[in-house]
Amino acid sequence: MDVVMPQLGETVAEGTVTRWYKKVGDAVKADETLFDVETDKVSTEIPAPASGVIAEILVQEGTTAKVGARLAVIRESGGQAARPAAAPVTAPAAPAPAARGGPAAADARARLSPVVSRLLAEHGLDARAITGTGRDGRVTREDVLAHLAQRTQSPAATSPPAGGGVARSAGVVGAPPVPSSDGAQTQPLNSIRKRTAEHMAKSWTTVPHVLQAVEVDFSRVDEARRMAGEKWKQREGFSLTYLPFIACAAAAALAKYPRLNASFGGDHLVLHKRVNLGIAVDLNFEGLMVPVVKDAGALKLPQLARAVHDLAARAHAGKLRPDDMTEGTYTISNNGAFGTLITAPIITPPQVAVLSTDAVRKRAVAIESGGKDEVAVRPVGMLAQTFDHRAVDGAYSAAFLKEVKTLLETRDWQRDLEG
Amino acid sequence: MNRKAKGKKAAAAGGDGIGRETRLELYRMQVELRYCEKRAYDLFLQNLVKGTSHLSLGQEAIAAAFGVAMRHDDWTFCTYRGHAHTLARGASMTGVLGELMGRECGLLGGKGGSMHLTDVKNGAMGSYAIIGAHLPVAAGAAWSAQYRGTGQVAVCFFGDGTANIGAFHEALNFAAVWKLPVIFVCENNLYMEYTPIASVTAVRHPAADRAAGYGLERIVVDGNDADAVYLTAVEHIGRARKGGGPALIEAMTYRHSGHSRADPAKYRPEGELEKWLERDPLKIYRERMLKLGFAEPTLSDIEAEAMRKVDEATAAAKASPPPKLEAIEKNVWADGGSAWRN
Amino acid sequence: MAELTYRDAVAAGIAQEMARDERVVFLGEDVAAAGGVFKSTVGLLERFGPKRVRDCPISEQAIIGAAMGAAMTGLKPIAEIMFSDFLAVCWDLVANEIAKTRYMTNGQIALPLVIRTANGAGSRFGAQHSQAVENWAMAVPGLKVVAPATPADVKGLIAAAVRDPDPVLVFEQKSLYAMKGEVPDGEHVDELGKAKVLRKGKDCTIVALALMVHRALAAAEVLEKEHGISCTVVDVRSLVPLDAQTILSEVSKTGRLVTVEENPRLCGWGAEIASIVADECFWDLDGPIVRVTTPHVPLPSADALEDNTIPSVERIVREIRERID
Repeated sequence: MDVVMPQLGETVAEGTVTRWYKKVGDAVKADETLFDVETDKVSTEIPAPASGVIAEILVQEGTTAKVGARLAVIRESGGQAARPAAAPVTAPAAPAPAARGGPAAADARARLSPVVSRLLAEHGLDARAITGTGRDGRVTREDVLAHLAQRTQSPAATSPPAGGGVARSAGVVGAPPVPSSDGAQTQPLNSIRKRTAEHMAKSWTTVPHVLQAVEVDFSRVDEARRMAGEKWKQREGFSLTYLPFIACAAAAALAKYPRLNASFGGDHLVLHKRVNLGIAVDLNFEGLMVPVVKDAGALKLPQLARAVHDLAARAHAGKLRPDDMTEGTYTISNNGAFGTLITAPIITPPQVAVLSTDAVRKRAVAIESGGKDEVAVRPVGMLAQTFDHRAVDGAYSAAFLKEVKTLLETRDWQRDLEG
Repeated sequence: MNRKAKGKKAAAAGGDGIGRETRLELYRMQVELRYCEKRAYDLFLQNLVKGTSHLSLGQEAIAAAFGVAMRHDDWTFCTYRGHAHTLARGASMTGVLGELMGRECGLLGGKGGSMHLTDVKNGAMGSYAIIGAHLPVAAGAAWSAQYRGTGQVAVCFFGDGTANIGAFHEALNFAAVWKLPVIFVCENNLYMEYTPIASVTAVRHPAADRAAGYGLERIVVDGNDADAVYLTAVEHIGRARKGGGPALIEAMTYRHSGHSRADPAKYRPEGELEKWLERDPLKIYRERMLKLGFAEPTLSDIEAEAMRKVDEATAAAKASPPPKLEAIEKNVWADGGSAWRN
Repeated sequence: MAELTYRDAVAAGIAQEMARDERVVFLGEDVAAAGGVFKSTVGLLERFGPKRVRDCPISEQAIIGAAMGAAMTGLKPIAEIMFSDFLAVCWDLVANEIAKTRYMTNGQIALPLVIRTANGAGSRFGAQHSQAVENWAMAVPGLKVVAPATPADVKGLIAAAVRDPDPVLVFEQKSLYAMKGEVPDGEHVDELGKAKVLRKGKDCTIVALALMVHRALAAAEVLEKEHGISCTVVDVRSLVPLDAQTILSEVSKTGRLVTVEENPRLCGWGAEIASIVADECFWDLDGPIVRVTTPHVPLPSADALEDNTIPSVERIVREIRERID
């Protein structure tokens, strides 16, 4: 039975095999985890589709394959072709390629020419199973053809596993850290880091970012949180943070200021009907994910709170689905946990704006009460929006921020929570 | 102006052997060329003609006179300033205006544009936009006529600026040595593009004064007098047809507009244009015809008919669609396609 | 079969077509009474007379312009440009007029003409009389381009060029004029756009043109005998139209492409072949495409320098040995 690249979401066309849990010759049970696939930023464990023995692995770790591509072959249990003993028998028989040329030989084997790659894929072969006679032990076209000819003659001589499975953690690409002379360690970027690096650099160099911030008095939000308090936590299993309130206010304000809920297209702006809120989630310093709450404007506050919580929890557990990451129209980045005052976030193009929420702290503020200025202690936090100046101007962005601020400071949030 | 041309001018006032029908044809042709060229200019202003365009307003007498003097199977080779020469061979006005406007009905189906007007079936063998290139090509066509004994003559029009490029001299020598039936006609409008030709040329008449170098007669003619040009054309085309070899004719004229649509012609000294407008070939010719007894309504009928023709052609060209995109990859090769590999 | 030199085969090809078709005329500098500076047109004046075989002044623009004017009005001229380097003198006519006129006039004007020229190095003539410039012509839409390597091919391809309804440039390699080879008896007409497989091997496909074909064949011999590398050798013969299918098919059999070009490095014809192969034959390649070319320098004159500038048999062997792994 063929193991193929699954469709991991409606909008996903390909995936990268980041880890095989089995090697050729290993027995595998149906539904046992067989390999990890990474699409964009999400890693998913894929179970074996059938029980049997891994006959061939066609796509090596780190390789990207299209949805539907053959990745491996499982020789199903009970099938006459099953030869679980084949590996130990043939392994010593074939000359171990690694023995011939040290590290260089390993590189040469990894460097497959186009025709060799094609032939290996067509015949379901593993390059490591073939003796390379080219320079530095490179597997040449002739070597593959000779191997195929030989295989036709002696069907028992199939794919010995070479090298053994090198356990590599999912998502880590490239070599392990190499110490340098001054003791500094070179740390290879994991794939999330790499992609984040690419996206951030691209956004920062192409989008003219402008930052604006407003100070928000969270008294009414605090009051609602306090009132809901323990009851909420007991019922829902998690605490009610400021974030869903901000998300709710932002979604409502975006409906009034659609040019911030938009995609910039060079010579046009696409105004989205639905507000799909990206919520940036930090993975304990191991990367940043931005799952998306779809149609946030249609959700009532409790639904929104649950959706945000659910996405964050699944992000931490590595259980996000590829579709959870797509179609964002506006992003909120929550940086308050470490007490920051203000953060200038980077936009995710083609979105045109991103909102940062920072710490809400008790501060002494001047308020007007009964016609007199007074100093009062209030929970105050900054909301900072970065916007793409190609798409909108400062006044528009400021009006939007004022709307969010007004909503947060004046809305009857308790009633929202009851609903 | 030499003695010979002066003689022709005197003859043109009557008793020059030019028949009534020919004179009407010369006038009709000049009027059509003028009106059509003016229309081309109006169409730029409406942004319906894109790209460049080089007008020959004021130079109509030369194209018209040769057009009337040539046999239908003779060949014309002209330059990027070639609307008039192409029309003078009988090319369709709709085809010319359509080509300028980039329409499917254009003479070249939109693939050549203003600078490359061609109508082979009427003997208009192409408009050549790189100065000098078409002089040897015209010589080659004349060679073909000579080789096959067809009696055809090639007429090659070019501007004064061309007389300073190498191909001019190569072609003149080549045609003279091989005694080819080709008439080289230099339309000296005093300016190469923006620079007065006199300031960049070693002799006063850039073409005629070089004729001696190729063993040819020095001929300068009043290019604004259609009768004078016609008589010169008839004489030399006839001689070439009989095997008398090539001729080099310099026709003095003036373009009323700039070099191209991009040129307001600010470099001309004050009063020069006005002086030449007095010598406008249409004005001269109309006055002469009235003096010779042609009735005013005959002339105004010709003018009205020409305008109707231009209007009709304009409407037809405007109605034509842009060329089909398939045209892009057609007609590179004789098989109609553009394949360069299997 | 008769053995002819390449130069005699040129004359034989022109004569065959002139005898067959009255419309074929021949013009150039020193081509008639003198029989050509390379003696490749000896006897044509005597046989066809001064009306059809014409000496011209040193006026490359007039020669090519006249050929064009004659072609568009019913003749089938063959024009000779003495050295291909001189094409630069009349390139306006070749590249701007002849190549484009059919297209610009939407098919109104046909230009059935041939431009023959002596091309390439090997005669110690220096940088202005030794260039291989077939790639210039290849780069201009509207021109067909052939470069024959043998007496039989030069006769057959000149005949095919004359009969073709489009303008064809025939690049004769001047070092080959003295080369002898069998030429079929009787009428011999070849076909434009057909490459020839001259040798079959399994490790590498060498694609070459004109003089380089002979060097590629010699190199293949050495590689086979001394190094156990077996090579296919393809003579491209015609750059436009290009027989891409033969090249792709031979490369896919060996998994390797090496082009051997007399053109200086940048934009030599092999670059286009390499691009086609990389694009359409990628999954059959067993190693990088290798181009053996003249370095990107004007050609020096001294024999010791010239011999080490254009690709030699030794260099072809060395580069293939070094790059085939």
